[in-house]
Amino acid sequence: MTPGPDEATTAERLRAQIAAQFGRSLHIRTLDTGSCAVCEQEIRLLSAPHYDLHRLGFFFTPAPRHADLLLVAGPMVRAFEVAARKAYEAMPGPKVVVATGACALGGVYQADPFMHGEVEAVLPVDVWIPGCPPSPLALLHGLSVAVGRLAEKVPGLAFVADENGGGA
Amino acid sequence: MPLWFARGLRRGVVTTRYPARPDGSAVALPTPPAFRPLLLTREIVDRMIAQCPGTALSRAADTLVFDAGSCTACGRCARVAPHAVTPSGEFELAATTRSALIKMVPILGERR
Repeated sequence: MTPGPDEATTAERLRAQIAAQFGRSLHIRTLDTGSCAVCEQEIRLLSAPHYDLHRLGFFFTPAPRHADLLLVAGPMVRAFEVAARKAYEAMPGPKVVVATGACALGGVYQADPFMHGEVEAVLPVDVWIPGCPPSPLALLHGLSVAVGRLAEKVPGLAFVADENGGGA
Repeated sequence: MPLWFARGLRRGVVTTRYPARPDGSAVALPTPPAFRPLLLTREIVDRMIAQCPGTALSRAADTLVFDAGSCTACGRCARVAPHAVTPSGEFELAATTRSALIKMVPILGERR
């Protein structure tokens, strides 16, 4: 579906608004909804000296009430549904939800009596970051996409290699 | 010793410049597969689907449906058909729509 001219201008306006509101500093609350903790390990590495996400104006906060962005990992275990909803509702608007890792995107577990199998079943997701786990670089890219600093790259990728063995 | 670490020790700076500049360590990351449509056949694709531990691969007639969001970059499909599957080298995969991560790869190997 190609957006009409009105939709395109609205999208541009929204993008400028997001950049103005989240462009300088953004506080992140992470949420583990039953992940194997490797996504958390990679998220943890973002604060390490090599990635140092504070230089980009991103900060982790322990309180959802201070958070602009909810970084959710794990396949959304049903036992965690209430806590996830409460964390989301406690956040002040405007807020962004980022699903992190293949479990959160619905790639590893199917919906069953124990888990929803994806974050989208419970929370309105704005940005999807694939990977198992997504590397800190992929997370930095995803956070930059979420605040509108970088454009997403995936719609242009085909995952088809040319005959010379080149990438996507 | 990784080059960035040695350089960082010398300069006293270890922090990456990413996203302003590319990061050298990115080449070592496991990345989702890229497929060669001319070398894919239904039989090969079905074997790859059987090996996929998640739901990243499926087939609709002569199209391989690849969900990059579900891919864990484990490399099992590449082990089934090393000539037809190579690492894509793409790690900047964040998307603002879930459907943008689902890719259709034509299966063209039967036509030869």
